[in-house]
Amino acid sequence: MAQSTAIVATTLSKSFDELKAVDAVTFTVARGEVFSLLGPNGAGKSTTISMLACLLRPESGDATVMGYSILDDPQAVKACIGVVPQEIALYEDLSARENLEFWGKMYGLRGAKLKQRVDDVLALIGLTDRQKDRVDKFSGGMKRRVNIGVALLHTPDVIIMDEPTVGIDPQSRRHILDGVKDLNRQGVTVLYTTHYMEEAQELSDHIAIMDQGKIIAGGTHDELVTIVGEKDRIEMELSHSAPELLSQWGALEGVEAVSAENGIVTVLVNDSNRILPHLFGAASQHDVRITSVTIEEPNLEAVFLHLTGRALRD
Amino acid sequence: MRIFDLAVKDIRQIVRDRKAFLFLLAMPITFTVLFGIGFGGFHAGENADLRLPVGWLDEDNSAASIAMHAMLSQSQVVRLVDAGIMRNELMAQVDEGTVAAAVIVPYGFGGQLRDGDVIPLDLLADGSSQAGFSAETEIQAAAQRLFAAARAAQISAAIAEAHGVSADYDGALARAMAAWSSPPVTVYVTETGFSAEDQTLLGSANAFANTSPGMMAQFAIAGLLSAAQILTLERKSGSLKRLLTTNMSRNAILLGHFVAMFLIIFAQMSLLVLFGQLFLRLNYFSAPVATLLLITMSALFSASLGLLIGVQAKSEEQVVMYALVAMFVLAALGGAWLPLEFTPETFQRIAFMTPIAWMIDGFQEISVRGLGLTAIADSLLVLLLFSVALVGLALWRFRSEER
Repeated sequence: MAQSTAIVATTLSKSFDELKAVDAVTFTVARGEVFSLLGPNGAGKSTTISMLACLLRPESGDATVMGYSILDDPQAVKACIGVVPQEIALYEDLSARENLEFWGKMYGLRGAKLKQRVDDVLALIGLTDRQKDRVDKFSGGMKRRVNIGVALLHTPDVIIMDEPTVGIDPQSRRHILDGVKDLNRQGVTVLYTTHYMEEAQELSDHIAIMDQGKIIAGGTHDELVTIVGEKDRIEMELSHSAPELLSQWGALEGVEAVSAENGIVTVLVNDSNRILPHLFGAASQHDVRITSVTIEEPNLEAVFLHLTGRALRD
Repeated sequence: MRIFDLAVKDIRQIVRDRKAFLFLLAMPITFTVLFGIGFGGFHAGENADLRLPVGWLDEDNSAASIAMHAMLSQSQVVRLVDAGIMRNELMAQVDEGTVAAAVIVPYGFGGQLRDGDVIPLDLLADGSSQAGFSAETEIQAAAQRLFAAARAAQISAAIAEAHGVSADYDGALARAMAAWSSPPVTVYVTETGFSAEDQTLLGSANAFANTSPGMMAQFAIAGLLSAAQILTLERKSGSLKRLLTTNMSRNAILLGHFVAMFLIIFAQMSLLVLFGQLFLRLNYFSAPVATLLLITMSALFSASLGLLIGVQAKSEEQVVMYALVAMFVLAALGGAWLPLEFTPETFQRIAFMTPIAWMIDGFQEISVRGLGLTAIADSLLVLLLFSVALVGLALWRFRSEER
C-alpha cells in the first residue's frame, strides 16, 4: 500500500434487511488531508465510517486504513484510528479528567504517558480549568469538545468524525472547526462527515457527496462546482429602471445573461470580481445608482441540487 | 488489565449513585430487621411447640383408643392434631407434609384388643424421611405399650373372673396405662444434632435465620439496578460503540461489566452476612469457608442475572422493570419473604426450582444447623449452573447485536 494514502475504500456495501445503506462506495483519502463525506441524513455516511472503524462488517468490498485491511486486521486498524461519534459518548457522572483517563486506559495508555496525554488533551480542548467538573454539568459545546478530546488521546494517525457539530451553539461549532484545522496542520488525517455544506467547504481538501448509499460526486470543492457549470450570480437593486443600461451590461465581455424581475436585476457572469467594476462604470454613465449588490458563487448546495434534484437538507 | 479498568470505572459510577446505596445496604438491612421482627425476632421459636405434628383420627372411640390418645398426647416427640377430617383428607396432609404422620384408629380396635386380638393401627408416614421415621417409631412404641397394657388388663380381668370377682377390664386397662407413666427403667438418649429436614419441620427459634438470607438474596437482585443501567446507558450514549472502536473485544467488555457487578454484590452480601453475624445472632462464621463460597456463588448468580438484564434491556425503564420482576418473582417463589416450612409441599418443590431457595437453604444450613461445605454442596452447584446458563444467554444476546 502506498504510504501516501491513509484510507482506501473499495466497493464497500452494507444492507440492513431490505435497505441498501451503503452501495459499492469507493474513495481514497490521502495522508494528512481532511476528507469530507457530505450528504443529507440517511445518505449512508455513518454506516460507511462504522465499517471503516470496524464496528460493522461490510457485506462486500474492503477498505484499508493506514495500510491495514478492515476485514483481515481490524485490531491494527483500531490502533491507528480515533473515532468521534455523533453522540456524546462519555460517562456524564464522571469528571472530564476521569473520562479522559478511562478512555486513555481503554486505548492502552498507562502511567506517566497517560497523565501527560490527558493534560495535553485538556489543554487542547480548553478545559484544563474545568477538568474536575462532572461532564453532566457542562454545556453541549463543552461536552462535544471532551467527546473529540477522547479520540485524540492515543495520537491516532486518522481521526474519524461523525457529524461532530450537530446541535451545538455557533461559538462551540467555531471552536470545533478550528480544532479540526489545527489537527490537520499537525499532520493528522481527518475523515469528516457532515450535512452542513459550509463545513465541508471550509474544512475539506477533498469532498465526496453521498446520497442514498452511493457517492454521487467527488473531488475538490472547485472540481465539484465545475460539475454544475453555474456562473457567479450578481443580484442588484437600481435607483430607477434603465433598459439601455441592461443592454450595455449584456454586451460586456464575461457576462452570460442579464434579466430583471420584481425590481431586481440578475446578472450571470464568469468572474464576478473582474466584471463588477465594469457594471458599476456603466451604471454611472447612465446616471443610475446601484443601491444593493449580492454575489452568490456556485456552491455545494447547488451541486447537490443539480445532481439529485433535491436540496441538501431535504 | 483493561477489563479491570472497565470494572473499576463501573464501580466508581455505582458508588456515586445514592440510590445504589439504598438498594445495596439500607433497604436489605431495614427489611431484614422488619421482616424478622414480624416473624417473632430472636424469640420466634421459644413458645412454639416443636414436637412433630401427627394427625389423629379415632373411628373407634373406645377405652383403648382414648388411652392411646392420652399416651400420645404426653409424647415429647409427637403432637397430636385432632383435625376432625376424613381419612382421605388426612392422607393428603401426610402427602403434602403438613403433618409428619397420621394415626387412624379403626372401628372395632378396642373390642378386638379386649378379646386378645390385635387389629393394627392405620399408621400413615413417610418412613424414608427423618420426621416420618421419628413419628412412626414414637407411635409404634406407644402402640406396644397399649398392647402390653391391654394384655395386662386382659390377664387381670381373667384372674379376677377366676376368683369370682367381677372383671373390670376398662379399669385394669386404665391402671396398666397409668403404670407406663412411671416406668421402672428410663433410658435417656441425647441426639447430637437435627437433620435438615427435622429442623425445617420444627422451625427455627430465630426468625432472622430466614429473613437475613432471604433479604440478602432479594436485594442482591435489586442492587443490580445501577450496574445494569450502566450497560444500557453505555449503549444509549454511544460509549459502547466507542469502546468497540478500541482494541477491546465484545467478550472483554461484557466481562468487565460482569466483574464490576460481581464485586459489588460480593461486597454487599459480605456486609450483610457480617451484619447478621454481629447483630442478628446468626452463626455464619461457624463454617467460614462454606460461607465465603456461598457468598461467591450467590454473587456470581446475581451478577449473571444483572448482566443478562443489562444486555437485554433497551432503556433504563426496562432495566427497572426486568430487575423488579425478577426480584419479586424469584424472592416470592424462593421463600425470601415467607419461610418455606410454612408452605405446602408443592410450593416447596416449585421454590427449589429457583436459585433463591437454594441460596437461602445454603445459608440456613450454615447459620442455623451449624453444617459446613458438604451440606451446601448442592446449593453451590445449583447456583453455579444457573450462573453459567445466564452468562451464556447474555453472551449470546450481546454477540447477536454484532451485524
